[in-house]
Amino acid sequence: MNRRDALRKSALAFGAAAGVPTLLSLLQSCSKTDRLTWTPTFLNEDQAVFMSSFVEFLLPRTDTPGGLDVKSDIFIDLMYAKTYDEAGQKNVVAEIEKFNADCKSNYGSVFAELSEEDKAACFKAHEASSPKFPKNVWGTAVGPSEPVGFYRGLKSTVLWSYFSSEEIGKNVLSYDPIPGPYQGCVPLSEVGKTWSL
Amino acid sequence: MANFNIDADKDLTYDAIVIGSGISGGWAAKELCEAGLKTLVLERGRIVEHVVDYPTMTYDPWEVELRGSLTPEQKARHPQGGRSGFIGSMNEHFHANDVENPYTEVKPFLWVRAHQMGGRSLLWGKQTYRWSDLDFEANAKDGHGIDWPIRYTDIEPWYSYVEKFAGISGEALGLPQLPDSHFLPPMELNCVEKHVKERIEKEFKGRNMIIGRVAHLTQPHNGRGQCQSRNRCDRGCPYGAYFSSNAVTLPAANATGNLTIRPFSIVQSVVYDEQKGKASGVRIIDAETGEDIVYKAKVIFVNASTLSTTQILMNSTSNRFENGLGNDSGELGHNLMDHTYRIGAMGTVEGFEDQYYKGRRPNGIYIPRYVNLKDGPQSDKLVRGYGFQGGGGRSGWGAGSNQEGFGGDFKDGLMKPGSWEFFITGFAECLPYHHNQVSLNKDVLDKWGQPTLSIDAEWGANELELNKQIKIDAKEMLDRAGLKDVMDFDNKHEMGYGIHEMGTARMGKDPKTSVLNANNQVHGCENVFVTDGACMTSSSCVNPSLTYMALTARAASHAISELKKQNL
Repeated sequence: MNRRDALRKSALAFGAAAGVPTLLSLLQSCSKTDRLTWTPTFLNEDQAVFMSSFVEFLLPRTDTPGGLDVKSDIFIDLMYAKTYDEAGQKNVVAEIEKFNADCKSNYGSVFAELSEEDKAACFKAHEASSPKFPKNVWGTAVGPSEPVGFYRGLKSTVLWSYFSSEEIGKNVLSYDPIPGPYQGCVPLSEVGKTWSL
Repeated sequence: MANFNIDADKDLTYDAIVIGSGISGGWAAKELCEAGLKTLVLERGRIVEHVVDYPTMTYDPWEVELRGSLTPEQKARHPQGGRSGFIGSMNEHFHANDVENPYTEVKPFLWVRAHQMGGRSLLWGKQTYRWSDLDFEANAKDGHGIDWPIRYTDIEPWYSYVEKFAGISGEALGLPQLPDSHFLPPMELNCVEKHVKERIEKEFKGRNMIIGRVAHLTQPHNGRGQCQSRNRCDRGCPYGAYFSSNAVTLPAANATGNLTIRPFSIVQSVVYDEQKGKASGVRIIDAETGEDIVYKAKVIFVNASTLSTTQILMNSTSNRFENGLGNDSGELGHNLMDHTYRIGAMGTVEGFEDQYYKGRRPNGIYIPRYVNLKDGPQSDKLVRGYGFQGGGGRSGWGAGSNQEGFGGDFKDGLMKPGSWEFFITGFAECLPYHHNQVSLNKDVLDKWGQPTLSIDAEWGANELELNKQIKIDAKEMLDRAGLKDVMDFDNKHEMGYGIHEMGTARMGKDPKTSVLNANNQVHGCENVFVTDGACMTSSSCVNPSLTYMALTARAASHAISELKKQNL
């Protein structure tokens, strides 16, 4: 997404609340994650700022909620705290520090403080260099695979934390906890969006 | 079922004892209780009452703190079973604790265990297919292993009997290699599966692609509700729509008033009475108090699951049976089989963008065996055969992890279903090799001080050859069906991943080469019956659980008739 797109999306998201938006307010809204507004369980403040900015950049608010709206950053911090063992936790911290160090050397500052263009350049560089997840059958990977690295792993975790949230799973995607007998051929227009479950 | 968990210790003598309450133990309990026998079911783990003890059955991901992820403490309980990829926080309570119940992998072997009432009947895949004489005659025809002491005609009425009670959905096709069951209406194929079916059946004469035959109710049956397509079976089904001991056989057994189920009962051994020349009871250790108790009965069914049953028999030594109960042949613990697994192909199906489906069908497609059929061409490279399971569906938001995008358009794009994907994965028959074996390990004890199992088994040349052919066939079928980006795969899983372990106390005609006779009685100790997977003389390529059910009902009927004749 280029800077103009970012501005347009921001306008869509925040325009109504802000009345007539000024360029300044839009820029502020774009960088609203560089200050921490929540108390992390596991991450330190700088790491948490990184997490929020990563979530915001990957899944900004549009006419549907953004990653921060559904607290994806807070949930990922909780996952690090409660589901990672000590070695896994140490690794996450090292990877976040490395991600930010790379941002500094390539673009001049840590990820959260980069311009939208530089964030986009950073994501594109990581996209190009990160191996992809293998296909899977019944939840188990099949075919050739290599470690996807921190960037794609985190991208996947952010998507999961976003789409498995109550707001998205229940109110945005097509939600049907008790579908009844399986219907094999249904026009997509009758369902609308992807099934959440 | 309020009278389930009663104080069994007041009464130490029963007509029958059943060790284990999974798929086969549940059937044994039902049949014996319905014949009027006071029956004690010994269960290693806790009571799991249908519905009452399914705490996670309705949870959406966001309703649990970690949305299904395991904590390090939970993971630490499953260092081996966790390899299956099936354990999450919604079902962790139904998977055995590997640390308390260790086993030793001489060669890599995945042993998935479920230590609670219902056992793995709460977790199984529900694929239910009859075997045919292609299977029961296989050993005799190609000389691998020993001949089965039964044929299809012996088991056919018992298939019918268990199917009518369990409720099996599927489509009748009249295929000789995959006989039809008594079917409830089949589940539906989706648009893409119908398309692929048409293409494969047109391109490959003699191959069929069918909806899976499954122990899921597609209409209400015997007071149980029909499947609601939630696909949360492994948490327990509130409708009782799939077959489990908890929802189906144990309630029936309980309704007779003849059932006593004793939880937390670690079976140490079957007790052999040297004077009478038969078993007199079962020795257990109370898992909570450590107390040592012997229960007595006229007839004993050992249904602890293939390897646990074998472990119990091996640990049941006496002057008569120094090497384990029924082990005159030396075959106890040998001939361990499983099905090969996760070899196949997947690809993308173009078109159908305006089509979708409703429901999370706990079932897929099945391609019955088509190689080395009775009247078909015979391969010179390999014996026996394989079938495929699989299915099709549209990718969801998970596909976003591999997409290059980010930002608002990317996010909103993931809210629409993605491309149609379709896969098939083979299940190959495994030959019975004497060297694939388990043995008692007295150096590694479980939490209750009992010897554990060492498992020493691996695929042989024929299985690896079958796998090669599966991979070639899978890709060819999807290519010729017109799929795009077809990728073949072989995960090279060790044995055990099929979770179809079989054969370590096999049936046979000759006591010199087998552990059980044609009615699943232990040679030389005829009041002990084994009707779980341990009894299997060959492995077929077809899922085995329905055959365990039928063999159990058949053996129970024999036990009841022999008891009446006072032959046991």
